[in-house]
Amino acid sequence: MSAIPLPQADAPTMARPLTSRDIEQTIPRLGALLPFQGPISSFVFLNPLQGLEDLPFDQAVRQGAEIFGCAPYLSEERYFLKQQQGRITREELSAVLVRELGATANQPVGPRGTRLDFRLRMLTHRMRLGPPEEMAWWIAETDALKRLQEDVPEEVRHDFVRRSRSWILATGTTWAGWPQTDFGAPGDDWSDQRWEQAALACLWQVVLQGVGRVTLQPARPIRQRRLRDRLEQLTGRDTDLPVHELLIRLCAALTDQGLAGWPLPHREQGLWKAFLALYSEPGWLTRNWLAPIRDTLARLHKGQVSAVDSLLESLQELGVSSENLEDFLRDSLVPLRGWAGLLWQLETRGDRVATGVQPGTLLEFLAVRLLLDCQALRGVAAERLNYHGPLAGLWRLPVPEPRDTHPQQLELVGLQVFQAAQWCGWTAGDLLELTTAQWEELVREIETFNPLERCRIQHLAFETRFREKALHAVAQRATLPHARVTSPRFQAVFCIDTREESFRRHLEEVCPDVETFGAAGFFGVPIYYRGVADAHYSTLCPIVIRPQHWIVEDVIYTQEASNRRRTRTRQALGEASHRVQEGTRGLATGALLTGGLGVLASVPLIASVLFPRLTSKVQHQAARLLAPPKGTRLRLERLTEQPGPEGDAIGFSLAEMVNMSERTLRDIGLIRNFAPLVFFVGHGSFCLNNPHKSAYDCGACSGGAGGPNARALASMLNDMRVRLALAERGIEIPHSTTFLGALHNTGEDSITYYELETLSIAQQRNFEFARQQFEETCERNARERCRRFYSAPLDLTPAAALRHVEARTVDLAQTRPEFGNATNAMCYVGRRSRIRGLYLDRRCFQVSYDATTDDEEATILGRILGAVVPVCEGINLLYYFSYIDPQGWGAGTKLPHNVTSLLGVMDGAASDLRGGLPWQGVEIHEPLRLLFVIESQPEAIRKIMARNATVRQIIGNGWVQVALLSPDSPNLLLFEKGDFRPWSPRDGELPRVDSSWEWFRGRRDNLDFALLNPAREVPHA
Amino acid sequence: MPDLEILIQSLGLVVVIAPSVLLCWLGIPSLVGRPLPETWVHRVVQTVIWTGLLAALAVLGLMLSSGQTHVMVVGRQWVHIPHYHFAIKLVFDRLSVPLVILTFLLCGTIGAFAARYLHRETGFNRFFVLYSVFLLGMTVASLAGTIETLFAGWELVGLSSAFLVAFYHERRGPVTNGLHVWSVYRVSDAALLIASVVLHHLSGEGDFDRLIRGEASWPFGSPTLSVSQATLAGLLLVVAAAGKSALIPFSGWLPRAMEGPTPSSAVFYGALSVHLGAFLLLRVSPLLDASPVTCAVIVALGLASAAFGALANRVQTDIKSALSFASLTQVGLIFAEIGLGLRYIPLVHILGHACWRTLQFLRAPTVLHDFRQLENAVGGSLAGRRRSWDQWIPAHWRDWAYRFALERGELDQWLFTWFVNPIRDIFLACDRREQRLLRGSQSSVATPAEPWTRVLEENP
Repeated sequence: MSAIPLPQADAPTMARPLTSRDIEQTIPRLGALLPFQGPISSFVFLNPLQGLEDLPFDQAVRQGAEIFGCAPYLSEERYFLKQQQGRITREELSAVLVRELGATANQPVGPRGTRLDFRLRMLTHRMRLGPPEEMAWWIAETDALKRLQEDVPEEVRHDFVRRSRSWILATGTTWAGWPQTDFGAPGDDWSDQRWEQAALACLWQVVLQGVGRVTLQPARPIRQRRLRDRLEQLTGRDTDLPVHELLIRLCAALTDQGLAGWPLPHREQGLWKAFLALYSEPGWLTRNWLAPIRDTLARLHKGQVSAVDSLLESLQELGVSSENLEDFLRDSLVPLRGWAGLLWQLETRGDRVATGVQPGTLLEFLAVRLLLDCQALRGVAAERLNYHGPLAGLWRLPVPEPRDTHPQQLELVGLQVFQAAQWCGWTAGDLLELTTAQWEELVREIETFNPLERCRIQHLAFETRFREKALHAVAQRATLPHARVTSPRFQAVFCIDTREESFRRHLEEVCPDVETFGAAGFFGVPIYYRGVADAHYSTLCPIVIRPQHWIVEDVIYTQEASNRRRTRTRQALGEASHRVQEGTRGLATGALLTGGLGVLASVPLIASVLFPRLTSKVQHQAARLLAPPKGTRLRLERLTEQPGPEGDAIGFSLAEMVNMSERTLRDIGLIRNFAPLVFFVGHGSFCLNNPHKSAYDCGACSGGAGGPNARALASMLNDMRVRLALAERGIEIPHSTTFLGALHNTGEDSITYYELETLSIAQQRNFEFARQQFEETCERNARERCRRFYSAPLDLTPAAALRHVEARTVDLAQTRPEFGNATNAMCYVGRRSRIRGLYLDRRCFQVSYDATTDDEEATILGRILGAVVPVCEGINLLYYFSYIDPQGWGAGTKLPHNVTSLLGVMDGAASDLRGGLPWQGVEIHEPLRLLFVIESQPEAIRKIMARNATVRQIIGNGWVQVALLSPDSPNLLLFEKGDFRPWSPRDGELPRVDSSWEWFRGRRDNLDFALLNPAREVPHA
Repeated sequence: MPDLEILIQSLGLVVVIAPSVLLCWLGIPSLVGRPLPETWVHRVVQTVIWTGLLAALAVLGLMLSSGQTHVMVVGRQWVHIPHYHFAIKLVFDRLSVPLVILTFLLCGTIGAFAARYLHRETGFNRFFVLYSVFLLGMTVASLAGTIETLFAGWELVGLSSAFLVAFYHERRGPVTNGLHVWSVYRVSDAALLIASVVLHHLSGEGDFDRLIRGEASWPFGSPTLSVSQATLAGLLLVVAAAGKSALIPFSGWLPRAMEGPTPSSAVFYGALSVHLGAFLLLRVSPLLDASPVTCAVIVALGLASAAFGALANRVQTDIKSALSFASLTQVGLIFAEIGLGLRYIPLVHILGHACWRTLQFLRAPTVLHDFRQLENAVGGSLAGRRRSWDQWIPAHWRDWAYRFALERGELDQWLFTWFVNPIRDIFLACDRREQRLLRGSQSSVATPAEPWTRVLEENP
């Protein structure tokens, strides 16, 4: 890992002089490591440590935590909390320890007991550890030396006192360390408490003596990476504060998408030129800390010095050599990684914003940053240290001598041994018999099994518990018969999203004749899409794909006149409303508007806060007068050779439509037994007051709503020419089958259907039936969601639950309109029939895949996993890390968030851009690496891993867990240490219930798996 | 009609007692470590706000129907010697009644909003305790009949504001900025305190109704003080008002105050406490009538702040800073209106501006949605669509003007260089001298403890 940048003078001959090539080669590597969050309005779910995916998970987590200064695991307290809640038990802790320790588990540690036993005690008792001052207070002011720890079990306590007593009576009083002054001679009248106190006093003495015989490892000094760290140590001044204040404003101004009325001057020339132009100007307010380098800036500006040359100058001044260049630049980016990451995203994927940035912006950012850094360092060094030499020389200034920490450290280690001895029931007499070598070993054991390592084991145990339960559930279900529904009333294809798990389960409960499928929510149709009333195209496909096609929605010919009229009205009203909004911020207009009409604003203010649902209904009614006409269709087929965003180039060619349709149908295994109606249901979430709204949308649509994709696919499949071509390729779609696109609003649980006007009379009846089933499902689904909202009563009826979730989405004050994919923990890839009826608690992604239709090479599974593994892993790990360290990896609490440049959020007045998920979105999550259960054979997976590097890396390095369900038997294999090993089933039947409601009613927490009894009529609640 | 008088007086007492009850109800359980559950807090806040609001409306109704324009509620005389007294006195007149109704209305709305917005937040209880302090402060300050009563409310508002800015005290930014706000408030508090001493010195009391001759009620009446007396007291009050309302040169704190949860930013800096300075000047308007110099200073300060706010607002790239500078613009104009001798217009301006800005702050997190809607309606990008007056700035001044706005006029640096640092240096010099005199050269300025970073450290 990064070494402290050595001063240039110490190694002048070793280092090759830096060149601009070095820097240009380094930039993309740094960019890959930075947070990947682009514009927040198209939220991206990717692994926050994607840049380290070539490392094994544990190693990458530790390295990432060190680079970014975040926590790698939850705090120990949180794990103890999970133990109390029964989410981690002794059983799993023991199993994980046995697996990790291997043969060394049975080695003795301390006077008696094995390493396994010792570590298990360390994991189940809370070690008190803190700053020396706190520990000194603990010893002096509490009963730490008088009473055994509260969490020492009763039998251990009893045994400890009894044996200590006999030791004291036999030899203790003659022992040199016996606390004569405090206790004198033991008498018959000593109470148990007195004995306990004497025993502990002896123990503490023995421990201090014993630890004193061991050479302790010196405490590691805090790593200093940048000169700023050194200067802060020397002067207590943080030079990043002024630098960041300026950089944040500058970056925000550069990337602004229209929030500021006055854009950054010279923005088109890039960050570097704009910065120089602004700050090299002389001005009469010169209190600025940059005033001393105004001449330098003017020289750079006039001399047209490029960013990279200036960067080289700064690096030289800071004493950075080619060896530590990458580490140094990375450490300079990390403090403002959100902004740096945004610049890199805009530079490389500029198709997501209206106003992009120049190529090379990240480099320019670094150039500006180092220029500012140098000046800030110079200023503080001169002011506080009276130092005017070259900056690199600051490394050589003497640092204050560290205080002699040995006595403190002795006490600190001693306290840990002291606590551990109590849990193990070791008395003073036991410990007196240890040799120096044994003491050495005991202390090393405590040092190696440090808090970080303990957290790692706790976490593994936490994951093990869920995995065992999940596999048990799947194995139990697999022993039951399974078959596709023979003649389904209708079929519905949903997104793989965990939120659709409950929706599909309820739909199947409501209508046992339905068949459901799961496919990534863009349905294999990657597009840029623009609706009738949209100003811009939005990207509707996973972030890893760059769409090649553009699709627009048109109003049908007969309604065009009415559409034109309404568009003009909307335009006029929009202009007016924009003027008013801008106006209230202005001078004269502001005075007129706020003074003259301001009091009227209290009406919408009070109405929208106190009666959100009613207000929204009224607004909705008003908006309907202006909305585009209902009759619209997609422009799907293009006339030109090449696709493009305008005119005839919009759309697909016929061949492309056929290919996409075939691929999606084959992926989900729907190639025969078509129902009369087949729905493709995309999803999105519509809620107010929420900059992170797009994080609730479809992850497979780059944070957009997947309705248009579903609609496009349905239209293609209804096209007779497509059907003919498909029939030639072996997929016969009967004439009686119609496909329909729909959109599931996961916020308020409603469904919008598209192009119903194409339905025949016979199909209308089928549709009416399906619609009723969907409506019933929405209500039941809303009720299941409400159990997780603490502000929703637990006894809501389905209809009341639906009203509750509707109100949540339109409430300005609601920070949790829904929970998105929180609690996701597993991903099932296989036939729905094999897990149908399993209660999965909205924790499972479900991908439909029929292994029986796949070939030897597992082509279909290969392309499914190629997309699904990185997508689901990304979603899972973003939740995972945002929960582990909400401030570091996540976006923290939403409440002080401040929308900036229309691209992201800052905390309060000014801060780094906050990536990741906000705490309100992850608070119910359990950080577990995703458990894939794939219905396939190990050979198939091995072949896929051999040909797909991404999948190989993610699975091989343990970023996800993988289990295989045999397609023709209930046997399971678990991927462990690079190999598939049989998973040994456990005993015990899954609980059986008649309906989901019966299982989740009255419960707020995460639920265990259960089996729903099939075929029984679901009682109406 | 003594009955009516008594009725209005008791209703008036209810208006002030309600927030005090709220403070005790929320504060005492917190002090003994048993904070109320969320639903209870919500209910208590609603009950109190409704009580206060209805009482205030009843007072308004009774005053309108009986034609009274000035009702005094005298609480207690703290000190009473001939020609000199300190009194707690509340006054209900054309100025205080609208403001106190506005306070209850906005605080009530924000209370309902925050109860949902802060749901399950760790600082939930702390927020509402500070909220009740603020509400009490605002009510007392609006109804104050004497300058010392006003000072009490003014202090409560400042205290709760600073704590709310530093609400997320686990991060560095909020604490630094909270301290910044607090420091500016102290300057303005000091000015107000000195002003009140001066008033007492000049007239033996701080009662606002004695600033004018006879029985006239606000805004009428002629001043009792001489021009020079009025100018001295007036200028001190202008400093106090400028600090509280973030006028030049104190403007730097206003955008920095946006660190707390959105509702607190909305109601405090967007709507209520930022107008407190203007309110103070309205309250002492007889003084202003007597002193043309003070009026001129107010107009100049107000217009300069308004121009500065409007310029800075043009370049702000985050919604909360943009709104805070927009607020500053209007507050500056309100000051100018007061300086020009207007009375009702600034009052209406305050009321309207407060409502409008609160709504905008509450919608601040929705700005992405709103912007998208607008773009969809207009059918294209809105960025740089509407040019404003800044295009009239001559080309060679434009870069300078932009930087001036981006750096927020360097007002903070200016304050530090010319004000904070010299004062700090004086105090440090005094400290050094004192130490030398007392016991050698040890400075009493404590060295901060080193942070503890070892808890989750890995051994190499």
